[in-house]
Amino acid sequence: MRCDDIRNRADEVWEGEETAEFRQHLTQCPACAGYYRDLRLVRSGFRLLKREEAVAPSLGFAERLVRQLAEVSKAPSVADFFERVGRRFVYATFVLTCLVLLALALPPTGPVRGLTAADIQMSTQEASLAYSDPMGDTNLQESPDLAPEDSPAPAVPNEVK
Amino acid sequence: MENSGAQLAQETEWIKRAQRGEPEAFGPLVEKHQQRVFSLIYHLVRRRDEVEDLAQEIFIKAFRAIRSYNFQSSFATWLSRIATNHCYDFLRHERASRVSFYWQMGEHSQQELETNAESKPEQQLDHEEQTVLKDLVAKLLDRAPENDRKILVLKELQDYSVEEIAEILNLKPTTVKVRLHRARKRMLEDLRQWREENKGHAL
Repeated sequence: MRCDDIRNRADEVWEGEETAEFRQHLTQCPACAGYYRDLRLVRSGFRLLKREEAVAPSLGFAERLVRQLAEVSKAPSVADFFERVGRRFVYATFVLTCLVLLALALPPTGPVRGLTAADIQMSTQEASLAYSDPMGDTNLQESPDLAPEDSPAPAVPNEVK
Repeated sequence: MENSGAQLAQETEWIKRAQRGEPEAFGPLVEKHQQRVFSLIYHLVRRRDEVEDLAQEIFIKAFRAIRSYNFQSSFATWLSRIATNHCYDFLRHERASRVSFYWQMGEHSQQELETNAESKPEQQLDHEEQTVLKDLVAKLLDRAPENDRKILVLKELQDYSVEEIAEILNLKPTTVKVRLHRARKRMLEDLRQWREENKGHAL
Protein backbone atom coordinates (compact mmCIF):
# COMPACT_ATOMS: atom_id res chain seq x y z
CA MET A 1 0.00 0.00 0.00
CA ARG A 2 1.17 3.52 -0.81
CA CYS A 3 1.47 6.26 1.80
CA ASP A 4 -1.25 8.32 0.03
CA ASP A 5 -3.69 5.41 0.28
CA ILE A 6 -2.85 5.03 3.95
CA ARG A 7 -3.37 8.74 4.68
CA ASN A 8 -6.71 8.66 2.86
CA ARG A 9 -7.90 6.13 5.41
CA ALA A 10 -7.69 8.67 8.21
CA ASP A 11 -11.49 8.77 8.60
CA GLU A 12 -11.73 4.99 8.98
CA VAL A 13 -8.89 4.96 11.50
CA TRP A 14 -10.49 7.87 13.35
CA GLU A 15 -13.63 5.76 13.67
CA GLY A 16 -11.51 2.85 14.94
CA GLU A 17 -11.31 0.68 11.81
CA GLU A 18 -7.77 -0.56 11.26
CA THR A 19 -6.92 -3.39 8.88
CA ALA A 20 -3.94 -5.73 9.23
CA GLU A 21 -2.54 -4.32 5.99
CA PHE A 22 -2.74 -0.83 7.43
CA ARG A 23 -0.94 -1.86 10.65
CA GLN A 24 1.76 -3.61 8.67
CA HIS A 25 2.39 -0.45 6.64
CA LEU A 26 2.82 1.56 9.83
CA THR A 27 5.50 -0.82 11.12
CA GLN A 28 7.47 -0.21 7.92
CA CYS A 29 6.85 3.52 7.38
CA PRO A 30 7.96 5.95 10.11
CA ALA A 31 6.30 8.93 8.36
CA CYS A 32 2.86 7.28 8.30
CA ALA A 33 3.43 5.93 11.83
CA GLY A 34 4.06 9.52 13.01
CA TYR A 35 0.99 10.76 11.15
CA TYR A 36 -1.24 8.18 12.81
CA ARG A 37 0.37 8.75 16.22
CA ASP A 38 -0.79 12.35 15.91
CA LEU A 39 -4.22 11.22 14.79
CA ARG A 40 -4.63 9.01 17.86
CA LEU A 41 -3.34 11.77 20.09
CA VAL A 42 -5.90 14.24 18.74
CA ARG A 43 -8.66 11.64 18.77
CA SER A 44 -7.92 10.86 22.42
CA GLY A 45 -8.04 14.57 23.20
CA PHE A 46 -11.44 14.85 21.54
CA ARG A 47 -12.75 11.87 23.49
CA LEU A 48 -11.55 13.38 26.75
CA LEU A 49 -13.11 16.73 25.91
CA LYS A 50 -16.37 15.00 25.05
CA ARG A 51 -16.49 13.33 28.44
CA GLU A 52 -15.69 16.55 30.20
CA GLU A 53 -18.54 17.75 32.34
CA ALA A 54 -20.22 20.62 30.58
CA VAL A 55 -21.52 23.65 32.43
CA ALA A 56 -24.95 22.95 33.86
CA PRO A 57 -27.67 25.58 33.86
CA SER A 58 -28.04 27.20 37.27
CA LEU A 59 -31.15 26.46 39.30
CA GLY A 60 -34.21 28.26 37.93
CA PHE A 61 -32.53 29.25 34.67
CA ALA A 62 -35.64 28.47 32.61
CA GLU A 63 -38.02 30.35 34.96
CA ARG A 64 -35.81 33.44 34.98
CA LEU A 65 -35.59 33.33 31.22
CA VAL A 66 -39.38 33.08 30.82
CA ARG A 67 -39.86 36.10 33.10
CA GLN A 68 -37.34 38.00 31.00
CA LEU A 69 -39.07 36.93 27.79
CA ALA A 70 -42.40 38.16 29.13
CA GLU A 71 -40.83 41.60 29.65
CA VAL A 72 -39.06 41.52 26.32
CA SER A 73 -42.19 40.55 24.40
CA LYS A 74 -44.17 43.44 25.95
CA ALA A 75 -41.83 46.13 24.63
CA PRO A 76 -41.45 46.31 20.85
CA SER A 77 -37.80 45.76 20.04
CA VAL A 78 -35.61 47.93 17.84
CA ALA A 79 -35.18 44.92 15.56
CA ASP A 80 -38.98 44.66 15.17
CA PHE A 81 -39.14 48.34 14.28
CA PHE A 82 -36.47 48.00 11.61
CA GLU A 83 -38.09 44.85 10.34
CA ARG A 84 -41.43 46.68 9.93
CA VAL A 85 -39.86 49.74 8.33
CA GLY A 86 -37.65 47.56 6.16
CA ARG A 87 -40.62 45.55 4.94
CA ARG A 88 -42.52 48.73 4.01
CA PHE A 89 -39.46 50.05 2.19
CA VAL A 90 -39.24 46.84 0.17
CA TYR A 91 -42.94 47.01 -0.75
CA ALA A 92 -42.65 50.69 -1.76
CA THR A 93 -39.58 49.98 -3.90
CA PHE A 94 -41.39 47.07 -5.54
CA VAL A 95 -44.47 49.16 -6.39
CA LEU A 96 -42.30 52.00 -7.72
CA THR A 97 -40.30 49.59 -9.89
CA CYS A 98 -43.53 48.13 -11.28
CA LEU A 99 -44.81 51.61 -12.15
CA VAL A 100 -41.57 52.55 -13.89
CA LEU A 101 -41.55 49.29 -15.86
CA LEU A 102 -45.21 49.79 -16.81
CA ALA A 103 -44.50 53.32 -17.98
CA LEU A 104 -41.58 52.12 -20.10
CA ALA A 105 -43.58 49.25 -21.55
CA LEU A 106 -46.53 51.43 -22.71
CA PRO A 107 -46.64 52.45 -26.46
CA PRO A 108 -45.56 56.05 -27.01
CA THR A 109 -49.06 57.52 -27.48
CA GLY A 110 -49.43 60.23 -24.90
CA PRO A 111 -49.47 63.94 -25.59
CA VAL A 112 -45.92 64.20 -24.24
CA ARG A 113 -44.58 61.35 -26.36
CA GLY A 114 -44.55 63.17 -29.76
CA LEU A 115 -46.75 62.73 -32.86
CA THR A 116 -48.16 59.36 -33.88
CA ALA A 117 -49.05 58.34 -37.44
CA ALA A 118 -52.69 59.24 -36.72
CA ASP A 119 -51.69 62.70 -35.47
CA ILE A 120 -49.63 63.31 -38.62
CA GLN A 121 -52.51 62.20 -40.86
CA MET A 122 -54.91 64.48 -39.00
CA SER A 123 -52.62 67.50 -39.26
CA THR A 124 -52.10 66.82 -42.99
CA GLN A 125 -55.89 66.86 -43.46
CA GLU A 126 -56.19 70.11 -41.57
CA ALA A 127 -53.44 71.69 -43.66
CA SER A 128 -55.01 70.65 -46.93
CA LEU A 129 -58.38 72.01 -45.79
CA ALA A 130 -56.78 75.31 -44.92
CA TYR A 131 -55.31 75.58 -48.42
CA SER A 132 -58.57 74.68 -50.17
CA ASP A 133 -60.60 77.18 -48.14
CA PRO A 134 -58.54 80.16 -47.25
CA MET A 135 -61.67 82.03 -46.12
CA GLY A 136 -62.22 79.49 -43.37
CA ASP A 137 -65.88 78.60 -44.12
CA THR A 138 -65.20 75.02 -45.17
CA ASN A 139 -67.62 72.29 -44.17
CA LEU A 140 -66.71 68.64 -43.75
CA GLN A 141 -68.09 67.58 -47.12
CA GLU A 142 -65.38 69.58 -48.86
CA SER A 143 -62.62 67.40 -47.39
CA PRO A 144 -61.13 65.18 -50.16
CA ASP A 145 -61.24 62.10 -47.93
CA LEU A 146 -64.81 62.58 -46.72
CA ALA A 147 -66.42 63.90 -49.90
CA PRO A 148 -68.72 61.60 -51.94
CA GLU A 149 -66.92 59.73 -54.74
CA ASP A 150 -68.97 61.36 -57.54
CA SER A 151 -68.30 64.93 -56.42
CA PRO A 152 -65.36 66.68 -58.11
CA ALA A 153 -62.20 67.12 -56.15
CA PRO A 154 -61.68 70.63 -54.83
CA ALA A 155 -59.48 72.85 -56.92
CA VAL A 156 -56.00 73.44 -55.58
CA PRO A 157 -54.46 76.80 -56.36
CA ASN A 158 -51.64 76.64 -58.90
CA GLU A 159 -49.14 78.43 -56.72
CA VAL A 160 -49.44 75.76 -54.05
CA LYS A 161 -48.30 73.08 -56.52
CA MET B 1 -32.26 12.61 21.05
CA GLU B 2 -35.04 10.06 20.65
CA ASN B 3 -38.46 11.55 20.89
CA SER B 4 -41.57 9.51 21.43
CA GLY B 5 -44.71 10.48 19.52
CA ALA B 6 -46.37 11.94 22.63
CA GLN B 7 -43.28 13.99 23.53
CA LEU B 8 -43.06 15.27 19.98
CA ALA B 9 -46.74 16.25 19.98
CA GLN B 10 -46.27 18.03 23.29
CA GLU B 11 -43.22 19.86 21.97
CA THR B 12 -45.12 20.88 18.83
CA GLU B 13 -47.89 22.29 21.02
CA TRP B 14 -45.36 24.33 23.05
CA ILE B 15 -43.76 25.65 19.89
CA LYS B 16 -47.10 26.68 18.38
CA ARG B 17 -48.06 28.49 21.57
CA ALA B 18 -44.67 30.22 21.68
CA GLN B 19 -45.18 31.21 18.05
CA ARG B 20 -48.40 32.92 19.15
CA GLY B 21 -46.22 34.95 21.55
CA GLU B 22 -46.69 33.04 24.84
CA PRO B 23 -43.39 33.12 26.78
CA GLU B 24 -44.76 30.59 29.33
CA ALA B 25 -44.92 27.97 26.59
CA PHE B 26 -41.26 28.60 25.81
CA GLY B 27 -40.24 27.63 29.36
CA PRO B 28 -40.68 23.86 28.89
CA LEU B 29 -38.78 24.09 25.60
CA VAL B 30 -35.89 25.77 27.42
CA GLU B 31 -35.93 23.10 30.12
CA LYS B 32 -35.95 20.33 27.57
CA HIS B 33 -33.07 21.65 25.44
CA GLN B 34 -30.97 23.69 27.89
CA GLN B 35 -28.48 20.93 28.70
CA ARG B 36 -27.61 20.32 25.06
CA VAL B 37 -27.37 24.04 24.35
CA PHE B 38 -25.11 24.60 27.38
CA SER B 39 -22.88 21.74 26.29
CA LEU B 40 -22.65 23.05 22.72
CA ILE B 41 -21.79 26.54 23.91
CA TYR B 42 -19.14 25.22 26.26
CA HIS B 43 -17.50 23.12 23.56
CA LEU B 44 -17.50 25.96 21.08
CA VAL B 45 -16.45 28.76 23.40
CA ARG B 46 -14.68 26.90 26.25
CA ARG B 47 -15.29 29.69 28.71
CA ARG B 48 -17.28 28.45 31.71
CA ASP B 49 -17.98 31.98 32.90
CA GLU B 50 -19.61 32.94 29.61
CA VAL B 51 -21.82 29.90 29.03
CA GLU B 52 -24.92 30.95 30.97
CA ASP B 53 -24.98 34.50 29.55
CA LEU B 54 -24.59 33.17 26.04
CA ALA B 55 -27.32 30.58 26.64
CA GLN B 56 -29.66 33.30 27.81
CA GLU B 57 -28.96 35.38 24.68
CA ILE B 58 -29.45 32.35 22.47
CA PHE B 59 -32.82 31.43 23.99
CA ILE B 60 -34.03 35.03 23.72
CA LYS B 61 -32.93 35.08 20.09
CA ALA B 62 -34.72 31.77 19.50
CA PHE B 63 -37.93 33.06 21.10
CA ARG B 64 -37.86 36.16 18.91
CA ALA B 65 -37.26 34.09 15.80
CA ILE B 66 -39.60 31.23 16.66
CA ARG B 67 -42.22 32.31 14.12
CA SER B 68 -39.67 31.48 11.41
CA TYR B 69 -39.41 27.87 12.65
CA ASN B 70 -41.37 25.83 10.11
CA PHE B 71 -41.09 22.27 11.54
CA GLN B 72 -38.94 21.17 8.58
CA SER B 73 -36.06 20.15 10.85
CA SER B 74 -36.22 19.12 14.50
CA PHE B 75 -36.48 21.93 17.05
CA ALA B 76 -33.16 20.80 18.60
CA THR B 77 -31.42 21.16 15.25
CA TRP B 78 -32.95 24.58 14.64
CA LEU B 79 -31.87 25.70 18.12
CA SER B 80 -28.35 24.33 17.60
CA ARG B 81 -28.07 26.38 14.41
CA ILE B 82 -28.91 29.56 16.31
CA ALA B 83 -26.50 28.59 19.12
CA THR B 84 -23.64 27.82 16.73
CA ASN B 85 -24.02 31.10 14.86
CA HIS B 86 -24.35 33.09 18.08
CA CYS B 87 -21.21 31.52 19.58
CA TYR B 88 -19.30 32.42 16.44
CA ASP B 89 -20.42 36.01 16.65
CA PHE B 90 -19.08 35.97 20.21
CA LEU B 91 -15.81 34.28 19.26
CA ARG B 92 -15.12 36.78 16.51
CA HIS B 93 -14.68 39.33 19.26
CA GLU B 94 -13.00 37.17 21.87
CA ARG B 95 -10.23 34.84 20.88
CA ALA B 96 -8.81 32.52 23.55
CA SER B 97 -5.14 32.35 24.41
CA ARG B 98 -3.11 30.26 21.99
CA VAL B 99 -0.45 29.03 24.38
CA SER B 100 -0.85 25.34 25.12
CA PHE B 101 0.34 23.28 28.10
CA TYR B 102 1.61 20.76 25.56
CA TRP B 103 4.34 23.10 24.38
CA GLN B 104 5.38 23.77 27.95
CA MET B 105 6.21 20.09 28.43
CA GLY B 106 9.71 18.77 27.87
CA GLU B 107 10.27 16.85 24.62
CA HIS B 108 10.60 13.63 26.59
CA SER B 109 7.24 14.19 28.29
CA GLN B 110 5.63 14.99 24.96
CA GLN B 111 6.89 11.73 23.48
CA GLU B 112 5.76 9.83 26.55
CA LEU B 113 2.30 11.34 26.25
CA GLU B 114 2.13 10.46 22.55
CA THR B 115 3.17 6.86 23.26
CA ASN B 116 0.69 6.55 26.12
CA ALA B 117 -2.13 8.07 24.06
CA GLU B 118 -1.38 5.54 21.35
CA SER B 119 -1.16 2.49 23.56
CA LYS B 120 -3.74 3.12 26.29
CA PRO B 121 -7.41 4.10 26.27
CA GLU B 122 -7.50 7.83 27.07
CA GLN B 123 -9.26 7.34 30.40
CA GLN B 124 -6.21 5.40 31.63
CA LEU B 125 -3.90 8.36 31.13
CA ASP B 126 -2.98 10.12 34.33
CA HIS B 127 -4.76 13.32 35.29
CA GLU B 128 -1.99 15.61 34.10
CA GLU B 129 -1.75 13.86 30.74
CA GLN B 130 -5.50 14.12 30.32
CA THR B 131 -5.41 17.84 31.10
CA VAL B 132 -2.58 18.44 28.63
CA LEU B 133 -4.31 16.46 25.91
CA LYS B 134 -7.64 18.21 26.37
CA ASP B 135 -5.88 21.56 26.35
CA LEU B 136 -3.95 20.65 23.19
CA VAL B 137 -7.09 19.71 21.26
CA ALA B 138 -8.96 22.76 22.57
CA LYS B 139 -6.14 24.99 21.32
CA LEU B 140 -6.02 23.18 17.99
CA LEU B 141 -9.75 23.79 17.68
CA ASP B 142 -9.19 27.41 18.51
CA ARG B 143 -6.60 27.67 15.73
CA ALA B 144 -8.80 25.85 13.22
CA PRO B 145 -10.75 27.77 10.57
CA GLU B 146 -14.31 28.53 11.63
CA ASN B 147 -15.97 25.95 9.35
CA ASP B 148 -13.59 23.19 10.47
CA ARG B 149 -14.21 23.99 14.09
CA LYS B 150 -17.99 23.99 13.79
CA ILE B 151 -18.04 20.63 12.06
CA LEU B 152 -15.52 19.04 14.45
CA VAL B 153 -17.35 20.26 17.55
CA LEU B 154 -20.71 19.06 16.27
CA LYS B 155 -19.35 15.66 15.25
CA GLU B 156 -16.65 14.85 17.80
CA LEU B 157 -17.93 16.61 20.89
CA GLN B 158 -21.70 16.88 20.45
CA ASP B 159 -22.12 13.50 18.76
CA TYR B 160 -24.43 14.75 16.04
CA SER B 161 -24.84 12.49 13.00
CA VAL B 162 -23.69 13.63 9.57
CA GLU B 163 -27.35 14.16 8.56
CA GLU B 164 -28.03 16.34 11.63
CA ILE B 165 -24.89 18.41 10.99
CA ALA B 166 -26.02 18.86 7.39
CA GLU B 167 -29.31 20.33 8.67
CA ILE B 168 -27.63 22.57 11.24
CA LEU B 169 -25.10 23.96 8.78
CA ASN B 170 -27.42 23.99 5.74
CA LEU B 171 -25.20 21.62 3.79
CA LYS B 172 -25.64 18.34 1.95
CA PRO B 173 -24.59 15.23 3.92
CA THR B 174 -21.95 14.41 1.30
CA THR B 175 -20.49 17.92 1.73
CA VAL B 176 -20.39 17.38 5.49
CA LYS B 177 -18.44 14.13 5.02
CA VAL B 178 -15.93 15.80 2.73
CA ARG B 179 -15.54 18.79 5.05
CA LEU B 180 -15.14 16.55 8.08
CA HIS B 181 -12.40 14.60 6.32
CA ARG B 182 -10.60 17.81 5.36
CA ALA B 183 -11.04 19.32 8.82
CA ARG B 184 -9.43 16.31 10.50
CA LYS B 185 -6.62 16.29 7.97
CA ARG B 186 -6.02 20.01 8.37
CA MET B 187 -5.96 19.66 12.14
CA LEU B 188 -3.26 16.99 11.94
CA GLU B 189 -1.26 19.13 9.52
CA ASP B 190 -1.64 22.08 11.86
CA LEU B 191 -0.39 20.00 14.79
CA ARG B 192 2.68 19.01 12.80
CA GLN B 193 3.32 22.60 11.74
CA TRP B 194 2.77 23.85 15.29
CA ARG B 195 5.21 21.25 16.58
CA GLU B 196 7.83 22.49 14.11
CA GLU B 197 7.25 26.08 15.26
CA ASN B 198 7.64 25.09 18.92
CA LYS B 199 10.55 22.66 18.55
CA GLY B 200 13.05 24.97 20.15
CA HIS B 201 10.65 26.10 22.84
CA ALA B 202 9.94 22.76 24.54
CA LEU B 203 11.39 22.66 28.04
